[in-house]
Amino acid sequence: MFVMHKDNTIIRMFRVSKRYGKMEALSDLTLEIRNNEFVFITGPSGAGKSTMIKLLYMGEIASEGAIIIDGVYMERITRKQIPHLRRKFGVIFQDFKLIPTKTVFQNVALVLEVLGVKPKEIQPRVMEALERVGIDDRAGELPPVLSGGEKQRVAVARAIVGEPKIILADEPTGSLDPDSASHIFQLLQEAHATGTTVVVATHDQHMINTGHGRVIRLVKGHLNPDDEARRIERGMDP
Amino acid sequence: MSMLAAKRALTDIVNNKFLNIVSILTISLSVFILSAFILFFINATDFLDGWRKGVRIIAYMADGVSEEQRQVMVDAIQTSDAAEDIKFVSKEEAYKELKQNIGEQSSLLDGLDKNPLPDSLEITLKDGVRSQEDIEKLANRISGLPNVDDVEYAQKWLHRFNGVYNLFKVTGGVLASIFFIATLLIIANTIRMIMFSRREEIEIIRIVGADENFVKYPLYIEAVLQGFLGGVIGIVTLFLAFVLTVPGLSMEGAFSFFEMRFIPVKFSLAIVLCSMMIGWIGCYFSIRKFLKL
Ligand SMILES: Nc1ncnc2c1ncn2[C@@H]1O[C@H](COP(=O)(O)OP(=O)(O)OP(=O)(O)O)[C@@H](O)[C@H]1O
Ligand SMILES: [Mg+2]
Repeated sequence: MFVMHKDNTIIRMFRVSKRYGKMEALSDLTLEIRNNEFVFITGPSGAGKSTMIKLLYMGEIASEGAIIIDGVYMERITRKQIPHLRRKFGVIFQDFKLIPTKTVFQNVALVLEVLGVKPKEIQPRVMEALERVGIDDRAGELPPVLSGGEKQRVAVARAIVGEPKIILADEPTGSLDPDSASHIFQLLQEAHATGTTVVVATHDQHMINTGHGRVIRLVKGHLNPDDEARRIERGMDP
Repeated sequence: MSMLAAKRALTDIVNNKFLNIVSILTISLSVFILSAFILFFINATDFLDGWRKGVRIIAYMADGVSEEQRQVMVDAIQTSDAAEDIKFVSKEEAYKELKQNIGEQSSLLDGLDKNPLPDSLEITLKDGVRSQEDIEKLANRISGLPNVDDVEYAQKWLHRFNGVYNLFKVTGGVLASIFFIATLLIIANTIRMIMFSRREEIEIIRIVGADENFVKYPLYIEAVLQGFLGGVIGIVTLFLAFVLTVPGLSMEGAFSFFEMRFIPVKFSLAIVLCSMMIGWIGCYFSIRKFLKL
Protein backbone atom coordinates (compact mmCIF):
# COMPACT_ATOMS: atom_id res chain seq x y z
CA MET A 1 0.00 0.00 0.00
CA PHE A 2 1.17 3.47 -0.85
CA VAL A 3 0.86 5.59 2.25
CA MET A 4 0.59 9.36 1.86
CA HIS A 5 1.92 11.95 4.19
CA LYS A 6 -0.40 12.17 7.16
CA ASP A 7 -2.23 15.37 7.96
CA ASN A 8 -5.67 16.13 9.22
CA THR A 9 -7.35 15.10 5.96
CA ILE A 10 -8.94 11.68 6.05
CA ILE A 11 -10.64 11.63 2.64
CA ARG A 12 -9.13 13.31 -0.38
CA MET A 13 -10.68 13.15 -3.86
CA PHE A 14 -8.73 14.68 -6.72
CA ARG A 15 -10.32 15.20 -10.15
CA VAL A 16 -12.44 12.09 -9.73
CA SER A 17 -14.83 11.04 -12.49
CA LYS A 18 -17.08 8.02 -12.70
CA ARG A 19 -18.73 6.92 -15.90
CA TYR A 20 -21.30 4.18 -16.41
CA GLY A 21 -20.98 3.62 -20.13
CA LYS A 22 -21.52 7.06 -21.62
CA MET A 23 -23.34 8.32 -18.55
CA GLU A 24 -21.06 10.44 -16.42
CA ALA A 25 -22.30 10.09 -12.84
CA LEU A 26 -19.47 12.13 -11.31
CA SER A 27 -17.37 14.69 -13.19
CA ASP A 28 -14.00 16.00 -12.17
CA LEU A 29 -14.73 16.06 -8.48
CA THR A 30 -12.10 17.46 -6.13
CA LEU A 31 -12.69 17.73 -2.41
CA GLU A 32 -11.24 16.98 0.98
CA ILE A 33 -12.86 15.81 4.17
CA ARG A 34 -11.06 16.26 7.46
CA ASN A 35 -10.78 13.91 10.32
CA ASN A 36 -13.91 13.99 12.50
CA GLU A 37 -15.84 16.22 10.13
CA PHE A 38 -19.60 15.75 9.76
CA VAL A 39 -20.40 16.10 6.08
CA PHE A 40 -23.72 16.15 4.27
CA ILE A 41 -23.70 15.33 0.60
CA THR A 42 -26.88 16.59 -0.94
CA GLY A 43 -28.33 17.45 -4.33
CA PRO A 44 -31.12 16.38 -6.64
CA SER A 45 -31.83 12.80 -7.57
CA GLY A 46 -29.25 11.44 -9.97
CA ALA A 47 -26.65 14.00 -8.87
CA GLY A 48 -24.15 11.27 -8.01
CA LYS A 49 -24.45 11.12 -4.22
CA SER A 50 -24.68 7.35 -4.03
CA THR A 51 -21.95 7.04 -6.62
CA MET A 52 -19.62 9.10 -4.47
CA ILE A 53 -20.32 6.95 -1.41
CA LYS A 54 -19.70 3.79 -3.47
CA LEU A 55 -16.38 5.10 -4.70
CA LEU A 56 -15.31 5.74 -1.12
CA TYR A 57 -15.93 2.19 0.12
CA MET A 58 -14.71 0.80 -3.21
CA GLY A 59 -18.07 -0.62 -4.17
CA GLU A 60 -17.19 0.95 -7.50
CA ILE A 61 -13.87 2.01 -8.97
CA ALA A 62 -13.35 5.56 -10.22
CA SER A 63 -12.95 5.98 -13.97
CA GLU A 64 -10.45 8.79 -13.48
CA GLY A 65 -8.75 10.68 -10.72
CA ALA A 66 -7.29 9.83 -7.36
CA ILE A 67 -8.93 8.96 -4.05
CA ILE A 68 -6.85 8.83 -0.90
CA ILE A 69 -8.44 7.52 2.27
CA ASP A 70 -6.65 7.71 5.59
CA GLY A 71 -3.35 7.95 3.77
CA VAL A 72 -4.07 5.04 1.43
CA TYR A 73 -4.01 5.80 -2.26
CA MET A 74 -6.73 3.66 -3.78
CA GLU A 75 -5.22 3.39 -7.22
CA ARG A 76 -2.27 1.52 -5.78
CA ILE A 77 -4.35 -0.87 -3.79
CA THR A 78 -4.58 -4.50 -4.91
CA ARG A 79 -7.80 -6.46 -4.97
CA LYS A 80 -6.66 -8.36 -1.93
CA GLN A 81 -6.28 -5.13 0.04
CA ILE A 82 -9.81 -3.88 -0.63
CA PRO A 83 -11.24 -5.73 2.40
CA HIS A 84 -8.68 -4.08 4.66
CA LEU A 85 -9.66 -0.69 3.35
CA ARG A 86 -13.34 -1.42 3.87
CA ARG A 87 -12.72 -2.16 7.50
CA LYS A 88 -12.02 1.53 8.01
CA PHE A 89 -15.67 2.20 7.21
CA GLY A 90 -19.02 1.55 8.72
CA VAL A 91 -21.59 1.82 5.93
CA ILE A 92 -25.31 2.50 6.31
CA PHE A 93 -27.80 2.19 3.44
CA GLN A 94 -31.33 3.35 2.77
CA ASP A 95 -32.46 -0.26 2.36
CA PHE A 96 -30.58 -1.36 5.53
CA LYS A 97 -28.81 -4.29 3.86
CA LEU A 98 -29.23 -6.57 6.84
CA ILE A 99 -28.89 -10.28 6.24
CA PRO A 100 -32.45 -11.57 6.65
CA THR A 101 -31.47 -15.08 7.75
CA LYS A 102 -29.15 -13.87 10.51
CA THR A 103 -30.39 -12.57 13.82
CA VAL A 104 -29.88 -8.96 14.86
CA PHE A 105 -27.01 -10.15 17.04
CA GLN A 106 -25.39 -12.17 14.24
CA ASN A 107 -25.71 -9.29 11.78
CA VAL A 108 -23.77 -7.02 14.09
CA ALA A 109 -21.33 -9.73 15.21
CA LEU A 110 -20.40 -10.35 11.59
CA VAL A 111 -18.31 -7.17 11.52
CA LEU A 112 -16.28 -8.29 14.50
CA GLU A 113 -15.78 -11.76 13.02
CA VAL A 114 -14.49 -10.12 9.87
CA LEU A 115 -12.15 -7.98 11.95
CA GLY A 116 -10.85 -11.13 13.62
CA VAL A 117 -11.97 -10.13 17.11
CA LYS A 118 -11.62 -12.97 19.62
CA PRO A 119 -14.89 -14.91 19.96
CA LYS A 120 -15.00 -14.19 23.70
CA GLU A 121 -14.97 -10.42 23.12
CA ILE A 122 -17.63 -10.45 20.43
CA GLN A 123 -20.65 -10.98 22.69
CA PRO A 124 -20.05 -7.99 25.02
CA ARG A 125 -19.09 -5.67 22.19
CA VAL A 126 -22.14 -6.51 20.12
CA MET A 127 -24.44 -6.08 23.12
CA GLU A 128 -22.85 -2.74 23.90
CA ALA A 129 -23.43 -1.52 20.34
CA LEU A 130 -27.02 -2.75 20.42
CA GLU A 131 -27.54 -0.93 23.73
CA ARG A 132 -26.15 2.26 22.26
CA VAL A 133 -28.81 2.24 19.54
CA GLY A 134 -31.44 1.02 22.01
CA ILE A 135 -32.27 -2.30 20.39
CA ASP A 136 -30.52 -4.78 22.68
CA ASP A 137 -33.88 -6.30 23.65
CA ARG A 138 -34.36 -7.52 20.06
CA ALA A 139 -30.95 -9.19 19.71
CA GLY A 140 -32.39 -12.63 18.97
CA GLU A 141 -34.88 -11.54 16.33
CA LEU A 142 -34.54 -11.81 12.57
CA PRO A 143 -34.53 -8.49 10.68
CA PRO A 144 -37.74 -9.11 8.70
CA VAL A 145 -39.86 -8.82 11.87
CA LEU A 146 -38.42 -5.40 12.77
CA SER A 147 -39.84 -2.03 11.77
CA GLY A 148 -37.90 0.17 9.37
CA GLY A 149 -36.62 2.39 12.15
CA GLU A 150 -35.50 -0.63 14.15
CA LYS A 151 -33.74 -2.14 11.17
CA GLN A 152 -31.84 1.04 10.60
CA ARG A 153 -30.80 1.12 14.24
CA VAL A 154 -29.39 -2.38 13.79
CA ALA A 155 -27.56 -1.11 10.71
CA VAL A 156 -26.14 1.77 12.78
CA ALA A 157 -25.05 -0.70 15.46
CA ARG A 158 -23.32 -2.72 12.77
CA ALA A 159 -21.65 0.43 11.46
CA ILE A 160 -20.30 1.49 14.86
CA VAL A 161 -19.46 -1.86 16.47
CA GLY A 162 -16.06 -2.11 14.80
CA GLU A 163 -15.18 1.45 15.83
CA PRO A 164 -14.37 2.53 12.28
CA LYS A 165 -12.67 5.80 11.48
CA ILE A 166 -15.35 6.75 9.00
CA ILE A 167 -19.09 6.19 8.80
CA LEU A 168 -20.64 6.43 5.36
CA ALA A 169 -24.42 6.66 5.15
CA ASP A 170 -26.42 6.70 1.92
CA GLU A 171 -29.91 8.11 2.56
CA PRO A 172 -30.01 6.53 6.03
CA THR A 173 -33.37 8.12 6.80
CA GLY A 174 -34.80 7.87 3.30
CA SER A 175 -37.40 5.27 4.14
CA LEU A 176 -38.11 6.18 7.75
CA ASP A 177 -40.82 8.18 9.51
CA PRO A 178 -39.71 11.53 11.00
CA ASP A 179 -39.31 10.20 14.56
CA SER A 180 -37.17 7.26 13.54
CA ALA A 181 -35.25 9.53 11.20
CA SER A 182 -34.31 11.95 13.93
CA HIS A 183 -33.31 9.05 16.17
CA ILE A 184 -30.94 7.74 13.50
CA PHE A 185 -29.59 11.22 12.93
CA GLN A 186 -29.00 11.58 16.64
CA LEU A 187 -27.08 8.29 16.67
CA LEU A 188 -24.89 9.52 13.84
CA GLN A 189 -24.17 12.68 15.80
CA GLU A 190 -23.25 10.61 18.83
CA ALA A 191 -20.80 8.62 16.71
CA HIS A 192 -19.41 11.89 15.45
CA ALA A 193 -19.00 13.09 19.02
CA THR A 194 -16.77 10.11 19.77
CA GLY A 195 -14.37 11.16 17.04
CA THR A 196 -15.70 9.39 13.96
CA THR A 197 -15.80 11.10 10.59
CA VAL A 198 -19.36 10.94 9.25
CA VAL A 199 -20.36 11.34 5.61
CA VAL A 200 -24.10 11.33 4.96
CA ALA A 201 -25.71 11.48 1.53
CA THR A 202 -29.24 12.76 2.04
CA HIS A 203 -32.23 14.63 0.68
CA ASP A 204 -33.46 15.29 4.19
CA GLN A 205 -33.45 19.08 4.42
CA HIS A 206 -34.59 19.02 8.02
CA MET A 207 -31.61 16.90 9.01
CA ILE A 208 -29.23 19.21 7.14
CA ASN A 209 -30.70 22.33 8.72
CA THR A 210 -30.65 21.05 12.29
CA GLY A 211 -27.20 19.49 12.02
CA HIS A 212 -24.00 21.41 12.25
CA GLY A 213 -22.28 19.67 9.42
CA ARG A 214 -20.57 20.86 6.33
CA VAL A 215 -22.77 20.64 3.24
CA ILE A 216 -21.46 19.45 -0.10
CA ARG A 217 -23.99 19.94 -2.87
CA LEU A 218 -23.73 17.91 -6.05
CA VAL A 219 -25.54 18.82 -9.25
CA LYS A 220 -25.34 16.43 -12.20
CA GLY A 221 -22.09 14.99 -10.97
CA HIS A 222 -20.43 18.35 -10.33
CA LEU A 223 -19.75 20.20 -7.13
CA ASN A 224 -22.14 23.11 -6.92
CA PRO A 225 -19.89 26.13 -7.62
CA ASP A 226 -21.98 28.46 -5.40
CA ASP A 227 -21.37 26.14 -2.55
CA GLU A 228 -17.63 26.12 -3.05
CA ALA A 229 -17.66 29.93 -3.24
CA ARG A 230 -19.50 30.17 0.03
CA ARG A 231 -17.12 27.70 1.60
CA ILE A 232 -14.15 29.82 0.59
CA GLU A 233 -15.85 32.98 1.91
CA ARG A 234 -16.31 31.28 5.24
CA GLY A 235 -12.60 30.52 5.28
CA MET A 236 -13.08 26.74 5.16
CA ASP A 237 -10.65 26.26 2.32
CA PRO A 238 -8.39 23.38 3.17
CA MET B 1 -9.56 -23.70 6.98
CA SER B 2 -10.10 -22.59 10.48
CA MET B 3 -12.50 -23.88 13.06
CA LEU B 4 -14.20 -20.50 12.89
CA ALA B 5 -15.04 -21.02 9.23
CA ALA B 6 -16.54 -24.41 10.06
CA LYS B 7 -18.51 -22.84 12.86
CA ARG B 8 -19.80 -20.14 10.57
CA ALA B 9 -20.74 -22.77 7.99
CA LEU B 10 -22.82 -24.57 10.61
CA THR B 11 -24.52 -21.35 11.71
CA ASP B 12 -25.23 -20.65 8.04
CA ILE B 13 -26.81 -24.04 7.57
CA VAL B 14 -29.03 -23.48 10.59
CA ASN B 15 -29.93 -20.00 9.34
CA ASN B 16 -30.72 -21.28 5.87
CA LYS B 17 -32.48 -24.48 6.95
CA PHE B 18 -35.05 -24.50 4.22
CA LEU B 19 -32.61 -23.93 1.38
CA ASN B 20 -30.25 -26.52 2.76
CA ILE B 21 -32.94 -29.12 3.22
CA VAL B 22 -34.20 -28.58 -0.31
CA SER B 23 -30.75 -28.93 -1.76
CA ILE B 24 -29.83 -31.96 0.32
CA LEU B 25 -33.09 -33.65 -0.69
CA THR B 26 -32.51 -32.83 -4.35
CA ILE B 27 -29.02 -34.26 -4.16
CA SER B 28 -30.17 -37.36 -2.31
CA LEU B 29 -32.94 -37.97 -4.82
CA SER B 30 -30.57 -37.83 -7.75
CA VAL B 31 -28.01 -39.98 -5.96
CA PHE B 32 -30.84 -42.41 -5.16
CA ILE B 33 -31.86 -42.69 -8.79
CA LEU B 34 -28.30 -43.10 -10.01
CA SER B 35 -27.53 -45.71 -7.35
CA ALA B 36 -30.77 -47.57 -8.03
CA PHE B 37 -29.69 -47.90 -11.60
CA ILE B 38 -26.22 -49.03 -10.57
CA LEU B 39 -27.77 -51.54 -8.18
CA PHE B 40 -29.95 -52.92 -10.93
CA PHE B 41 -27.02 -53.06 -13.32
CA ILE B 42 -24.72 -54.83 -10.89
CA ASN B 43 -27.33 -57.49 -10.16
CA ALA B 44 -28.38 -57.97 -13.73
CA THR B 45 -24.73 -58.46 -14.64
CA ASP B 46 -24.30 -60.92 -11.78
CA PHE B 47 -27.38 -62.76 -12.90
CA LEU B 48 -26.27 -63.07 -16.49
CA ASP B 49 -22.77 -64.05 -15.36
CA GLY B 50 -24.28 -66.74 -13.20
CA TRP B 51 -26.14 -68.07 -16.15
CA ARG B 52 -23.07 -68.11 -18.25
CA LYS B 53 -21.20 -69.95 -15.55
CA GLY B 54 -23.89 -72.57 -15.83
CA VAL B 55 -22.80 -73.32 -19.37
CA ARG B 56 -21.41 -76.84 -19.44
CA ILE B 57 -20.10 -79.20 -22.01
CA ILE B 58 -21.39 -82.72 -21.78
CA ALA B 59 -19.39 -85.48 -23.40
CA TYR B 60 -21.36 -88.68 -23.97
CA MET B 61 -19.18 -91.75 -23.90
CA ALA B 62 -19.31 -94.84 -26.03
CA ASP B 63 -20.72 -97.97 -24.45
CA GLY B 64 -18.47 -100.05 -22.23
CA VAL B 65 -15.64 -97.60 -21.65
CA SER B 66 -13.33 -98.84 -18.95
CA GLU B 67 -12.21 -96.78 -15.98
CA GLU B 68 -8.67 -96.50 -17.41
CA GLN B 69 -9.97 -95.27 -20.74
CA ARG B 70 -12.11 -92.77 -18.92
CA GLN B 71 -9.14 -91.50 -16.97
CA VAL B 72 -7.28 -90.96 -20.24
CA MET B 73 -10.17 -88.82 -21.45
CA VAL B 74 -10.26 -86.79 -18.25
CA ASP B 75 -6.52 -86.19 -18.42
CA ALA B 76 -6.77 -85.09 -22.01
CA ILE B 77 -9.51 -82.60 -21.20
CA GLN B 78 -7.56 -81.30 -18.25
CA THR B 79 -4.51 -80.52 -20.33
CA SER B 80 -6.59 -78.02 -22.27
CA ASP B 81 -6.63 -75.92 -19.10
CA ALA B 82 -10.17 -74.74 -19.73
CA ALA B 83 -12.08 -77.08 -17.46
CA GLU B 84 -12.85 -76.05 -13.94
CA ASP B 85 -14.34 -79.34 -12.96
CA ILE B 86 -14.97 -82.64 -14.65
CA LYS B 87 -17.68 -84.78 -13.20
CA PHE B 88 -18.39 -88.35 -14.18
CA VAL B 89 -22.07 -89.19 -14.41
CA SER B 90 -22.71 -92.89 -14.79
CA LYS B 91 -25.62 -94.09 -16.87
CA GLU B 92 -27.31 -95.27 -13.65
CA GLU B 93 -27.00 -91.86 -12.03
CA ALA B 94 -28.29 -90.21 -15.19
CA TYR B 95 -31.25 -92.54 -15.19
CA LYS B 96 -32.05 -91.79 -11.57
CA GLU B 97 -31.83 -88.08 -12.20
CA LEU B 98 -34.06 -88.33 -15.24
CA LYS B 99 -36.62 -90.27 -13.23
CA GLN B 100 -36.56 -87.66 -10.53
CA ASN B 101 -36.91 -84.83 -12.98
CA ILE B 102 -39.98 -86.17 -14.69
CA GLY B 103 -41.45 -87.10 -11.30
CA GLU B 104 -45.07 -88.22 -11.60
CA GLN B 105 -44.65 -89.35 -15.13
CA SER B 106 -41.77 -91.65 -14.22
CA SER B 107 -44.01 -94.61 -15.04
CA LEU B 108 -43.39 -93.67 -18.66
CA LEU B 109 -39.91 -95.07 -18.22
CA ASP B 110 -41.16 -98.37 -16.89
CA GLY B 111 -41.82 -99.58 -20.41
CA LEU B 112 -38.11 -99.47 -21.23
CA ASP B 113 -36.40 -102.83 -20.72
CA LYS B 114 -32.95 -101.26 -20.43
CA ASN B 115 -31.42 -97.93 -19.53
CA PRO B 116 -31.06 -95.95 -22.78
CA LEU B 117 -28.74 -93.34 -21.34
CA PRO B 118 -24.94 -93.38 -21.85
CA ASP B 119 -22.23 -92.60 -19.33
CA SER B 120 -21.12 -89.01 -19.57
CA LEU B 121 -18.64 -86.38 -18.38
CA GLU B 122 -19.97 -83.00 -17.28
CA ILE B 123 -17.37 -80.34 -17.81
CA THR B 124 -17.82 -76.97 -16.13
CA LEU B 125 -15.69 -74.23 -17.55
CA LYS B 126 -13.13 -71.99 -15.95
CA ASP B 127 -14.08 -68.35 -15.37
CA GLY B 128 -11.93 -67.13 -18.21
CA VAL B 129 -13.55 -69.45 -20.72
CA ARG B 130 -16.71 -67.67 -21.65
CA SER B 131 -16.56 -66.65 -25.25
CA GLN B 132 -18.34 -68.48 -27.97
CA GLU B 133 -15.05 -69.34 -29.69
CA ASP B 134 -13.38 -70.75 -26.58
CA ILE B 135 -16.29 -73.01 -25.86
CA GLU B 136 -16.57 -74.21 -29.43
CA LYS B 137 -12.84 -74.91 -29.57
CA LEU B 138 -12.95 -76.99 -26.43
CA ALA B 139 -16.06 -78.85 -27.55
CA ASN B 140 -14.43 -79.74 -30.85
CA ARG B 141 -11.34 -81.00 -29.07
CA ILE B 142 -13.37 -83.19 -26.79
CA SER B 143 -15.39 -84.68 -29.61
CA GLY B 144 -12.12 -85.63 -31.29
CA LEU B 145 -11.07 -87.77 -28.32
CA PRO B 146 -11.39 -91.54 -28.61
CA ASN B 147 -14.47 -93.12 -27.04
CA VAL B 148 -16.49 -89.90 -27.18
CA ASP B 149 -19.76 -90.48 -28.96
CA ASP B 150 -21.18 -87.05 -28.93
CA VAL B 151 -20.66 -83.61 -27.40
CA GLU B 152 -23.45 -81.37 -26.32
CA TYR B 153 -23.47 -77.71 -25.37
CA ALA B 154 -26.00 -74.96 -25.74
CA GLN B 155 -24.53 -73.72 -28.94
CA LYS B 156 -27.22 -71.55 -30.51
CA TRP B 157 -28.56 -70.40 -27.26
CA LEU B 158 -25.12 -69.38 -26.07
CA HIS B 159 -24.56 -67.47 -29.23
CA ARG B 160 -27.67 -65.40 -28.84
CA PHE B 161 -27.13 -64.99 -25.18
CA ASN B 162 -23.70 -63.52 -25.73
CA GLY B 163 -25.21 -60.94 -28.04
CA VAL B 164 -27.80 -59.93 -25.48
CA TYR B 165 -25.20 -59.86 -22.76
CA ASN B 166 -22.92 -57.53 -24.66
CA LEU B 167 -25.79 -55.29 -25.69
CA PHE B 168 -26.88 -55.12 -22.10
CA LYS B 169 -23.42 -54.14 -20.94
CA VAL B 170 -23.06 -51.42 -23.53
CA THR B 171 -26.51 -49.87 -23.03
CA GLY B 172 -26.03 -50.16 -19.26
CA GLY B 173 -22.73 -48.32 -19.50
CA VAL B 174 -24.22 -45.61 -21.67
CA LEU B 175 -27.25 -45.20 -19.42
CA ALA B 176 -25.06 -45.10 -16.32
CA SER B 177 -22.98 -42.33 -17.89
CA ILE B 178 -26.11 -40.38 -18.74
CA PHE B 179 -27.45 -40.82 -15.22
CA PHE B 180 -24.09 -39.82 -13.84
CA ILE B 181 -23.93 -36.65 -15.89
CA ALA B 182 -27.54 -35.81 -15.00
CA THR B 183 -26.74 -36.26 -11.32
CA LEU B 184 -23.67 -34.14 -11.70
CA LEU B 185 -25.64 -31.33 -13.33
CA ILE B 186 -28.41 -31.52 -10.76
CA ILE B 187 -26.03 -31.30 -7.83
CA ALA B 188 -23.94 -28.53 -9.39
CA ASN B 189 -27.10 -26.64 -10.28
CA THR B 190 -28.58 -26.96 -6.82
CA ILE B 191 -25.43 -25.50 -5.34
CA ARG B 192 -25.55 -22.74 -7.94
CA MET B 193 -29.14 -21.97 -7.05
CA ILE B 194 -28.19 -21.63 -3.41
CA MET B 195 -25.33 -19.32 -4.22
CA PHE B 196 -27.53 -17.26 -6.45
CA SER B 197 -30.15 -16.82 -3.79
CA ARG B 198 -27.46 -15.80 -1.35
CA ARG B 199 -25.49 -13.40 -3.48
CA GLU B 200 -26.95 -10.36 -1.75
CA GLU B 201 -26.01 -11.67 1.65
CA ILE B 202 -22.52 -12.35 0.37
CA GLU B 203 -22.33 -8.86 -1.09
CA ILE B 204 -23.16 -7.47 2.36
CA ILE B 205 -20.48 -9.59 4.00
CA ARG B 206 -17.98 -8.18 1.56
CA ILE B 207 -19.05 -4.60 2.14
CA VAL B 208 -18.25 -4.95 5.82
CA GLY B 209 -14.72 -5.90 4.84
CA ALA B 210 -14.63 -9.67 4.59
CA ASP B 211 -11.80 -11.06 2.50
CA GLU B 212 -12.20 -13.81 -0.06
CA ASN B 213 -11.44 -16.66 2.29
CA PHE B 214 -13.85 -15.43 4.91
CA VAL B 215 -16.60 -15.62 2.29
CA LYS B 216 -15.43 -18.74 0.51
CA TYR B 217 -14.51 -21.23 3.23
CA PRO B 218 -17.97 -21.58 4.77
CA LEU B 219 -19.52 -21.85 1.30
CA TYR B 220 -17.18 -24.68 0.38
CA ILE B 221 -17.77 -26.42 3.68
CA GLU B 222 -21.52 -26.11 3.18
CA ALA B 223 -21.44 -27.36 -0.40
CA VAL B 224 -19.28 -30.36 0.46
CA LEU B 225 -21.43 -31.12 3.48
CA GLN B 226 -24.55 -30.94 1.32
CA GLY B 227 -22.95 -33.30 -1.17
CA PHE B 228 -22.00 -35.64 1.66
CA LEU B 229 -25.39 -35.66 3.36
CA GLY B 230 -27.25 -35.87 0.05
CA GLY B 231 -25.07 -38.80 -1.02
CA VAL B 232 -25.40 -40.65 2.28
CA ILE B 233 -29.15 -40.14 2.48
CA GLY B 234 -29.58 -41.28 -1.14
CA ILE B 235 -27.55 -44.45 -0.63
CA VAL B 236 -29.00 -45.28 2.78
CA THR B 237 -32.55 -44.84 1.49
CA LEU B 238 -31.77 -47.17 -1.38
CA PHE B 239 -30.23 -49.66 1.04
CA LEU B 240 -33.35 -49.62 3.22
CA ALA B 241 -35.55 -50.08 0.18
CA PHE B 242 -33.32 -52.96 -0.87
CA VAL B 243 -33.38 -54.68 2.51
CA LEU B 244 -37.15 -54.30 2.77
CA THR B 245 -38.03 -55.59 -0.70
CA VAL B 246 -35.42 -58.18 -1.64
CA PRO B 247 -36.40 -60.98 0.78
CA GLY B 248 -39.82 -60.86 -0.86
CA LEU B 249 -38.37 -61.66 -4.27
CA SER B 250 -37.96 -65.41 -4.26
CA MET B 251 -35.06 -66.75 -6.25
CA GLU B 252 -35.88 -70.39 -6.46
CA GLY B 253 -35.78 -73.12 -9.02
CA ALA B 254 -33.80 -72.19 -12.09
CA PHE B 255 -32.60 -68.96 -10.46
CA SER B 256 -31.38 -70.49 -7.24
CA PHE B 257 -27.77 -69.89 -8.25
CA PHE B 258 -28.40 -66.18 -8.05
CA GLU B 259 -28.38 -64.06 -4.95
CA MET B 260 -29.16 -60.31 -5.07
CA ARG B 261 -26.52 -58.14 -3.51
CA PHE B 262 -26.34 -54.44 -2.67
CA ILE B 263 -23.86 -52.03 -4.23
CA PRO B 264 -20.47 -52.96 -2.70
CA VAL B 265 -19.37 -50.75 0.19
CA LYS B 266 -16.38 -49.36 -1.69
CA PHE B 267 -18.57 -48.43 -4.60
CA SER B 268 -21.11 -46.78 -2.27
CA LEU B 269 -18.35 -44.77 -0.65
CA ALA B 270 -17.14 -43.73 -4.09
CA ILE B 271 -20.63 -42.47 -4.91
CA VAL B 272 -20.73 -40.38 -1.73
CA LEU B 273 -17.23 -39.09 -2.43
CA CYS B 274 -18.31 -38.14 -5.95
CA SER B 275 -21.30 -36.32 -4.58
CA MET B 276 -19.02 -34.34 -2.25
CA MET B 277 -16.64 -33.55 -5.06
CA ILE B 278 -19.45 -32.33 -7.27
CA GLY B 279 -20.56 -30.09 -4.41
CA TRP B 280 -17.08 -28.68 -4.28
CA ILE B 281 -16.91 -28.17 -8.03
CA GLY B 282 -20.40 -26.63 -8.14
CA CYS B 283 -19.32 -24.26 -5.40
CA TYR B 284 -16.14 -23.38 -7.25
CA PHE B 285 -17.95 -22.39 -10.43
CA SER B 286 -20.78 -20.56 -8.67
CA ILE B 287 -18.30 -18.54 -6.68
CA ARG B 288 -16.53 -17.53 -9.83
CA LYS B 289 -19.75 -16.75 -11.61
CA PHE B 290 -21.85 -14.98 -9.00
CA LEU B 291 -19.29 -13.65 -6.59
CA LYS B 292 -16.58 -12.82 -9.09
CA LEU B 293 -14.03 -14.01 -6.58
N1 LIG C 1 -24.72 0.89 -12.05
C1 LIG C 1 -25.09 1.94 -12.79
N2 LIG C 1 -25.19 1.79 -14.13
C2 LIG C 1 -25.55 2.81 -14.90
N3 LIG C 1 -25.84 4.04 -14.45
C3 LIG C 1 -25.77 4.25 -13.13
C4 LIG C 1 -25.39 3.21 -12.23
N4 LIG C 1 -25.40 3.71 -10.98
C5 LIG C 1 -25.76 5.01 -11.09
N5 LIG C 1 -25.97 5.34 -12.38
C6 LIG C 1 -26.34 6.65 -12.90
O1 LIG C 1 -25.47 7.61 -12.34
C7 LIG C 1 -26.17 8.77 -11.99
C8 LIG C 1 -25.93 9.08 -10.53
O2 LIG C 1 -26.53 8.07 -9.77
P1 LIG C 1 -26.55 8.08 -8.18
O3 LIG C 1 -27.21 6.85 -7.73
O4 LIG C 1 -25.19 8.37 -7.70
O5 LIG C 1 -27.48 9.34 -7.87
P2 LIG C 1 -27.99 9.87 -6.48
O6 LIG C 1 -27.51 11.25 -6.35
O7 LIG C 1 -27.65 8.92 -5.41
O8 LIG C 1 -29.55 9.87 -6.71
P3 LIG C 1 -30.73 9.56 -5.68
O9 LIG C 1 -30.89 10.79 -4.87
O10 LIG C 1 -31.91 9.33 -6.54
O11 LIG C 1 -30.32 8.39 -4.89
C9 LIG C 1 -27.62 8.51 -12.29
O12 LIG C 1 -27.93 9.15 -13.53
C10 LIG C 1 -27.73 7.02 -12.43
O13 LIG C 1 -28.69 6.68 -13.39
MG1 LIG D 1 -28.69 7.58 -4.18
